[in-house]
Amino acid sequence: MAWRSRFSYIGRRHLSIFANPSPSNWTKVVSDAEKIVGYPTSFMSLLSDELSNVAMHVKKLVGTKHPLLNTASNSDLICDSMVIYPSQRNLAEITELIHTAFLVHRGIVNLKEWMNSDGPLKNMQFGNKMAVLSGDFLLANACTGLAQLNDSKVVELISSAIGDVMQGIYHESSTSAEEGSLTVASWEDQTFLPHGALLAKSCQAAMKLARHDTEAQNWAFQYGKHLALGHKLNSDLQLFVKSGSEPAVFSLDSAPVVFHRQIVGPERWRHQLKQVQNMARQIDYTKLWGLIKMERGVSQGLDLCSYHSNKALEAMKCFPPSEARSALENMAYALTKF
Amino acid sequence: MAVPWSRCWRSGAGAAVLLDWCCGFSRRAFTHAASAGRRTDSSAAATQVLFRQGPVYNFNRPTTITRRRNRCLYTTPPVCCSICSDAKLKDPFSLAQKDLQNLYEEIKKLLVSKAELKVLCDYYFDGKGKAFRPMIVILMARACNVHSNKEGVLLPAQRSIAMISEMIHTASLVHDDVIDDSDTRRGKNTINKVWGERKAILAGDFILSAASMALARIGNNTVVSVLSQVIEDLVRGEFMQLGSKENENERFKHYLEKTFKKTASLIANSCKAVSILVNSDPEVHEIAYQYGRNVGIAFQLVDDILDFTSCANLLGKPSAADLKLGLATGPVLFACQQFPELHAMIMRRFSSDGDVDRAWQYVLKSDGVEQTNYLAQHYCQEAIRQISRLRPSTERDALIQLTELVLRRDK
Repeated sequence: MAWRSRFSYIGRRHLSIFANPSPSNWTKVVSDAEKIVGYPTSFMSLLSDELSNVAMHVKKLVGTKHPLLNTASNSDLICDSMVIYPSQRNLAEITELIHTAFLVHRGIVNLKEWMNSDGPLKNMQFGNKMAVLSGDFLLANACTGLAQLNDSKVVELISSAIGDVMQGIYHESSTSAEEGSLTVASWEDQTFLPHGALLAKSCQAAMKLARHDTEAQNWAFQYGKHLALGHKLNSDLQLFVKSGSEPAVFSLDSAPVVFHRQIVGPERWRHQLKQVQNMARQIDYTKLWGLIKMERGVSQGLDLCSYHSNKALEAMKCFPPSEARSALENMAYALTKF
Repeated sequence: MAVPWSRCWRSGAGAAVLLDWCCGFSRRAFTHAASAGRRTDSSAAATQVLFRQGPVYNFNRPTTITRRRNRCLYTTPPVCCSICSDAKLKDPFSLAQKDLQNLYEEIKKLLVSKAELKVLCDYYFDGKGKAFRPMIVILMARACNVHSNKEGVLLPAQRSIAMISEMIHTASLVHDDVIDDSDTRRGKNTINKVWGERKAILAGDFILSAASMALARIGNNTVVSVLSQVIEDLVRGEFMQLGSKENENERFKHYLEKTFKKTASLIANSCKAVSILVNSDPEVHEIAYQYGRNVGIAFQLVDDILDFTSCANLLGKPSAADLKLGLATGPVLFACQQFPELHAMIMRRFSSDGDVDRAWQYVLKSDGVEQTNYLAQHYCQEAIRQISRLRPSTERDALIQLTELVLRRDK
């Protein structure tokens, strides 16, 4: 099924269907990370739960002279499955369910804004109905999945993340393009809810499930938060940084635009908007793109992206070296590449 | 003489059989009979009910019925009778009043958000709802507490459950209104009409997440599982509503299952949850669950009746709403027995011109409403039978009286 996570581990890849094509660098680090965890289609996932159980028992043999210990340490099978607990794997799937649910619910159309050019109203209504039900179905499965983790603190944490995401999207759709400018700090606050909270809190929860202390949980949270914010910035900046790409359209809420608005001030921004709008108040995005590139909005975005990448790396330093840690660090590095 | 299947259950013993079938008890009766290698009269009658054969069942002959069914469904248990006629019996609403008083205010405190989202979330927690679910939960909690040799005072966790059940209910209402494209609810415009579909869905999700957080904070994994099941049932019930069944008998079973998932599951599992919090005996959990389940189904059946019989302004939402949505509820399914013309209309979900009006006429001409009412009564009787197994208390008696209120409500 589409919603099944392609991989599950401490850091995560955002499955954003609205994102621009990822840079090849990003794709590479993600694919490397996937190898550490294992595809669901590999036989390992079929056996992973059982293997993890075995692995946990084998751990008790450490310090003894039983030959099984040798076999285990030489075998990829048991070694790998020692790294990730089944509950953590389940958590990763649950996180993906929630993420998909919010994507689905985000696509619901306001029928009042329906125009003839959108096609028959009945189709929009039916589409809405399906979107509501599918999203609800995914959320319901996430809830029952959470319950099965048998850890009420984790349930609370992830439920709060669901609330954050919904709040975040709600306010995202409320702010209009011509409202007062956002500061960098408020952009971060506003972006954290819809784009960062889920990853940050599920990283924290993954630590909790393995009974790591609060310090480890906090570092995991920080990594998740900064990786997510960095990824959003990277995603928004693609259009403005990649050479030869002139956009057909872009969101006026994307980071470079928001920073640009703050730099030029509300009056000049309004003036610029008028410049690029035609009689029917339709925006010529290519013109606007050009105007934005001339100011410092883009470079400010790049600086912020580096900042978050570094913060994510900082968080990872607190974990002992391992393949997984390197994979996560590579993902953080990849944020600054375009 | 051949009696149409829909009528055979109206006699005492027949009612027992149908009710068992409806309540799923017959499954146990069947397996019991099957394992004993004999076909009891009751299982034969149930088969006839399901397959619409003429009855072989002799209503006058004493039957080999299980001990369970001996606890009369159709003769009023003496305990219930005396209590129902007791003038001093407290009205369930007033009994739960104190605990319900600040419920909505406390729910609003759980919905931590700002600006417009806060307005949407608080929209239906204005105290104008019936607070039916929290009331049942609170009374059940106290009845279980008394039964468990603790005082009839509400535990904070049980109070949370009452709030959580109302929040889950409201969240599902908000989503249902978008799915059904409804204009009004509880006498005011729906959230989707005022703020749009998108914001309505997000607000519903937010309320659900707040309920989920409150649930987790109780700190009891079993309770979390029990109530998470509700959320899944609600969605599945909604999906079930999208489909329709060809076969008439399947249709009714489908309708009852959908009714359970959409309405009764929440009440049943909330009741079960509060019993788990105070008592470890699975029998007590089962009593609480079965009471909630039966009352829940009865509640929905009455709701479906009111859709035909009530005026729009009394309900706070428009009537014949179910027909207009293409849904065939109890009264229609029963009416279909007398007016086979309804068959085709049900299959096409009343989509042709004039279908809704014609179907309504058929229903009002038939005894569909009456039959649904009888069915609701029997569910209530089962609920009473279950709850009577708890130790006596004012709360238990209030729960018994509550079934009466369910049947008598006009909105």
